Amino acid sequence: MKAFQQNLKKLEAADTQVLGVSMDSPFANKAFADQIGVTFPLLSDWGGDVTRQYGIYVDKYKAARRVNFLIGKDGKILEEQVDRDAIDPKKIVDACERKELSR
Amino acid sequence: MLGVWLLTAAIVCPQIKAQGNKPEPVPMKLKVGDVAPDFKLQYFDGSGEKDVTLSQYRGKSNVVLAFYIFAFTGG
Repeated sequence: MKAFQQNLKKLEAADTQVLGVSMDSPFANKAFADQIGVTFPLLSDWGGDVTRQYGIYVDKYKAARRVNFLIGKDGKILEEQVDRDAIDPKKIVDACERKELSR
Repeated sequence: MLGVWLLTAAIVCPQIKAQGNKPEPVPMKLKVGDVAPDFKLQYFDGSGEKDVTLSQYRGKSNVVLAFYIFAFTGG
């Protein structure tokens, strides 16, 4: 989440809204956001319905996999980063900036 | 004879090791090019809970959805 915060200006400049999602309660997420200085919304998928809908619920951990999706204005997925690759969002930030340049 | 055995071991062992290091990645259900399913989720903005839907950004901005395991974990 911090990595996205560090890149937030670049992403916003490329018309991109960042949303964190986890299966924590809204209050835990707010406390987490405050602690690490995140200013974008951290959404609460309490119960995990959306996590399952996106196919990334892990039974073993009773939680979501670490995945970043970049979704375009048309609602289609443009990029995916999964598990360890999702820790550094550079691929997504670069993709946003490329799109911005190519306009 | 020993030389042949060592050579064979040297060829086979790294492969076994490599397999051991790579757990089978679970394929993703949603792939690049798929339409992301709409959702409605809440977050707490300090004064109250706010609803967010994916469809509210349709035609307006790109969206990064960053799923993370739990609050207070790294990344």
